Amino acid sequence: MSNGNARTWHASDGLIARYADGSLPEPDAWSLEKHLEGCAGCAARVSRAVHGTAAGAVLAQVRESVLAAAPPVLKQVAPEAPPAPAPPRLARLLWAVGPAVRGAWLPAVLLVAVGAMALGYGGGFPDARALLLAIAPVVPVAGVALSYGPHADPLYEVVAATPAGGLRLALTRTAAVLGVSLPLLTVAGLLLPASGAPAAAAWLLPGLALTLGSLALASFVGCRTASGVTAGGWLCAVLAPVSAAPADGAGARLAEQLSRCLDGTGTQGAWAAAAALSAALLVARRPAYDRLIRS
Amino acid sequence: MSSIRVTGLRVRHRKTLALDSVDLALGTGVHGLLGPNGAGKTSLIRVLATVAQPSGGRVEIVGQDSTDQRGRAEIRRRLGYLPQEFGYYPGFTVREFVAYVAWLKELPGARVPAAVERAVARVGLADRIDAKIKTLSGGMVRRVGIAQAIVNDPSVLLLDEPTAGLDPEQRVEFRELLRELGASATVVVSTHLVEDVAAACTEVTLLDRGRIAYRGTPEALTALGAASHGPGDHPIERGYTAALRAHRAPRGTEAAR
Repeated sequence: MSNGNARTWHASDGLIARYADGSLPEPDAWSLEKHLEGCAGCAARVSRAVHGTAAGAVLAQVRESVLAAAPPVLKQVAPEAPPAPAPPRLARLLWAVGPAVRGAWLPAVLLVAVGAMALGYGGGFPDARALLLAIAPVVPVAGVALSYGPHADPLYEVVAATPAGGLRLALTRTAAVLGVSLPLLTVAGLLLPASGAPAAAAWLLPGLALTLGSLALASFVGCRTASGVTAGGWLCAVLAPVSAAPADGAGARLAEQLSRCLDGTGTQGAWAAAAALSAALLVARRPAYDRLIRS
Repeated sequence: MSSIRVTGLRVRHRKTLALDSVDLALGTGVHGLLGPNGAGKTSLIRVLATVAQPSGGRVEIVGQDSTDQRGRAEIRRRLGYLPQEFGYYPGFTVREFVAYVAWLKELPGARVPAAVERAVARVGLADRIDAKIKTLSGGMVRRVGIAQAIVNDPSVLLLDEPTAGLDPEQRVEFRELLRELGASATVVVSTHLVEDVAAACTEVTLLDRGRIAYRGTPEALTALGAASHGPGDHPIERGYTAALRAHRAPRGTEAAR
């Protein structure tokens, strides 16, 4: 191609008109076509002129049929280019979490955290942290109950027939529940005045132990019953002495009972042991998770 | 080779025996599962889907024993299942929902977006792929259910009443899809609509009170209907009632349900 030559001239309107109606002598037509290969401007003008003639309709038809034939070819050629971008990691994480975090549970956790803050600072309630610590271990347990199993998950029947169903999915969703509730409630506890209640992080091990205990128990009796048993057990242990106390001493009584349940290396060690034991039982009961449906 | 092989299957549902001594070998093609309510169709499909536990007998799917944990994982990877009562997450879009099931089925992440679009297009919902499921009609939700079942190109596809809620035109399209899927996979479809079986199935299994009452091709069942003078508006419907009666007759005095 002689590019240097091609730049020296451009086709006149007359030349193009004669090319379009076919009256241009053949050598001149070849010369023009050669020029068009290198000159987009003239090519566009010639194209416009030719489309104005009888050949235009034919060209349009050719274009249509080429385009109609093209898509299947394109699809075969480009399977690696995904038609839509893969969902971002965060979105996938939120999916994995399942129904609890998207449903009523997340607002409930926020309510507990915000409610405790409001009580502690707005309501002038001095034992807000004790109350928060009494409720906190139950929160992840409730999240697990609302995440997994035929009662909680509308998709459960489909999930149960997939390789990811069973214990793996239960643990993924539990991790998500813990990932939301542990930091949120601990920070809320830290921000509240202590006033005799145990440290804000004291509930972490009991929370973990109760959650793992619920999962282990669920392999025998189902998620809903198991969560009811562990959460109910905890609340009874913490709140029972309080109900017997006079109204004005309830807060102090609660703090006292909580420190019995949470404070001290021995107590925390016992909670850690309970968590480890539950985890071991859960691993042993893994096959039961494949068949958790009560029909 | 049969991708589903069931021998001496016995399933207890609550106190009653839902399936008793069922032997079945199903290969590539579309298999219609017919039978009156309570015959055990759903029990059979749930056992094949590995979500219900048999109380006796042996279930082998794609060459794997379904009672073995490792075998079950392999089966589940190659399984598509649409339950009779299809639950879903209403706030998800069709794309998100089908992708979520693809993720649960352990499809490699890079293949998920294309597999999702293909599955959704195959059930004719390509134009609603980014709509939330709660905005869809009942028939469309059913089609989302079929899309999630076929997203992993399953070797064994189990569909429990897939045509419930579809209008006649959608049913015709769905049968077309069934024939297409049945060319390469073992498809088991439970249905009450005998016409669906006649139009789309390569084989019919008729269940009655937990036992297999009849097995054959739709043509054979139609021929049976033509020969009998039983009730029914369509030859295959007459075949259905004739086969049921023939199965029940030797049992004599047992009261019909």
